[in-house]
Amino acid sequence: MNPLLQLKNVRKDIGSKTIIHDLSLEVFAGEVFGFLGPNGAGKTTTIRMIVGLMDITSGEVLINGIDVAKNFEKAIRYVGAIVENPEMYKFLTGYQNLLHYARMTSGVTKDRIDEVIKLVGLEHRIHDKVKTYSLGMRQRLGLAQALLHRPSLLILDEPTNGLDPAGIREIRDYLRKLAREEGLGIVVSSHLLSEMEMMCDRFAIIQHGKLVTIEAVQELSKQAQKVLWIVDPIEKAAQVVQERFPHYHIQQNGQGIEVDIDYHDIPKLNAALVAEHVQVYGIQVLAKSLEERFLEMTGGNEIV
Amino acid sequence: MSNFFSLIRNENMKIYYRFGTWFMIGLLVLVAVAGAIIVKTSYREPTDWRKEVTAETASFKASLEEGNISKTYKDYLTQQLKINEYRLKHDIKPIASNTFWGYLESSAGMISLVTLFTIIVAAGSVASEFSWGTIKLLLIRPTNRAKILLSKYMAALLFAIGLLVLLFAVSAISGAALFGIETIKEPYLAYQNGEVVEKSMIWYVLQMYALNCADLVMMTTFAFMISTVFRNQSLAIGLATFSLFIGPQITYFLAMKFDWAKYLLFANTNLSQYLDGMPMVEGMTMSFSIMMLLLYFLVFNALAWLIFQKRDIAA
Repeated sequence: MNPLLQLKNVRKDIGSKTIIHDLSLEVFAGEVFGFLGPNGAGKTTTIRMIVGLMDITSGEVLINGIDVAKNFEKAIRYVGAIVENPEMYKFLTGYQNLLHYARMTSGVTKDRIDEVIKLVGLEHRIHDKVKTYSLGMRQRLGLAQALLHRPSLLILDEPTNGLDPAGIREIRDYLRKLAREEGLGIVVSSHLLSEMEMMCDRFAIIQHGKLVTIEAVQELSKQAQKVLWIVDPIEKAAQVVQERFPHYHIQQNGQGIEVDIDYHDIPKLNAALVAEHVQVYGIQVLAKSLEERFLEMTGGNEIV
Repeated sequence: MSNFFSLIRNENMKIYYRFGTWFMIGLLVLVAVAGAIIVKTSYREPTDWRKEVTAETASFKASLEEGNISKTYKDYLTQQLKINEYRLKHDIKPIASNTFWGYLESSAGMISLVTLFTIIVAAGSVASEFSWGTIKLLLIRPTNRAKILLSKYMAALLFAIGLLVLLFAVSAISGAALFGIETIKEPYLAYQNGEVVEKSMIWYVLQMYALNCADLVMMTTFAFMISTVFRNQSLAIGLATFSLFIGPQITYFLAMKFDWAKYLLFANTNLSQYLDGMPMVEGMTMSFSIMMLLLYFLVFNALAWLIFQKRDIAA
């Protein structure tokens, strides 16, 4: 499968300083890709280069195989984006704002505008001036302008910023639906880590303009981690663990024991417990959260 | 091309849905109407226009006899002499300011207000996109930056044309209402190929409007360039209006001492200097000024275009 978005050794120098160091990554159709990093890591700079707002010092950005720097108008047709906050013309109505952007891309009909308005749930306020909108409504309007021309790649900077919990959930479900059902590739940057964990399939962490890691969210649960064993009797279970796996750290709590265990040893320990007649009521993987991973990768000493 | 038309519609939407724009339009209408009322109430009829024209002719003759005047001024005086003689001979009264044409002619002076308002619109058109942050969403569309910039420039010029038409129309209507249109047939006396000819006043008034537009176009372009280069609306409005009102004075002082002053922008923006026979620097001609204006026009536009095209958008 050809990647929808491809960054090849992308580098950005401002003056004599290198802001982005040879960044390479790929985003495929149908996935939600998280873009993480502490403030000042270069997330926004990278996004600006992808959408052609900034020049690329060296390397290339390909969207659907088209070079953004060389063939901007053709490449950008596939992209819908919000860069930082969705800033709109406040003295115009939401509808006029959408009309403004619709006129700039060929093939966006009035019907499509109405469709997108309904999609983001702004029907009742769309003819009000944007200055009367709440942050959440502006966010929805931002999403609407990004979707107008049916892009195949959606790039969203902090899409849930300012939304209430119901709104966050709605947008999250909607983005996942767009990726799964319509096959869009979605790049989301955020520093709400738990949010990203629920939304993304894969994520990249960058720090000081360098790529630290790219991982799948599913992989997070396969690394060495805490596993909660709901067992009875607890003391006997702890004994079994100490005998069989003396190097694992054990912690007892009210329900059972928490063991820092390797993913592949979980069935073995289970078998041992059963063999020793310990009642096993449940095995719960306390997955390493993205936040822990993030702090681990970035050294944890940065303001997120 | 339909795409470019849409871009201009977008720009127009951003101009005309703002309160400030309508405030400026209202102010212009008010000034054009108030001007007519002031002229109506304060104008005093001369006792005898023939006497005044004769006195003027005499002073022209005296100046001509002094001899140490420039050739352009001499030509101008000679023309005026001929026109005055024609006037007395055929009994054609000079156009007074409390007539339909007289007021319309003086309304050309109010074009500096149109210039000021257009500067405000042009200065805002690029700089505000940056200060609002909307420039980001504007530039991630399948339209190149040059087209977007051009559409903004065209929209500012269209605004200027709209204001000019409005000024002309309101002045004409208030002139007709307050001074009547009985004098509408009075001719304008022009000097052509060595003789005095009678022409329609409308051509004269339109010519006055056209000449005043040089300033308008140049200062709008200047403000637009500053707005694009510095992304700062206040700076663009400030510099352009300051130049508009102070520039000619400074240039005038420089022109008294230095010959090179004729290459300055403001030595050339006032094209009516050639109608009065008194160019700022001796030896300047209308075509020289037009060439200089074109040159400045190209430089301003090229600067705006180059910088807008290349800039990293970090707002």
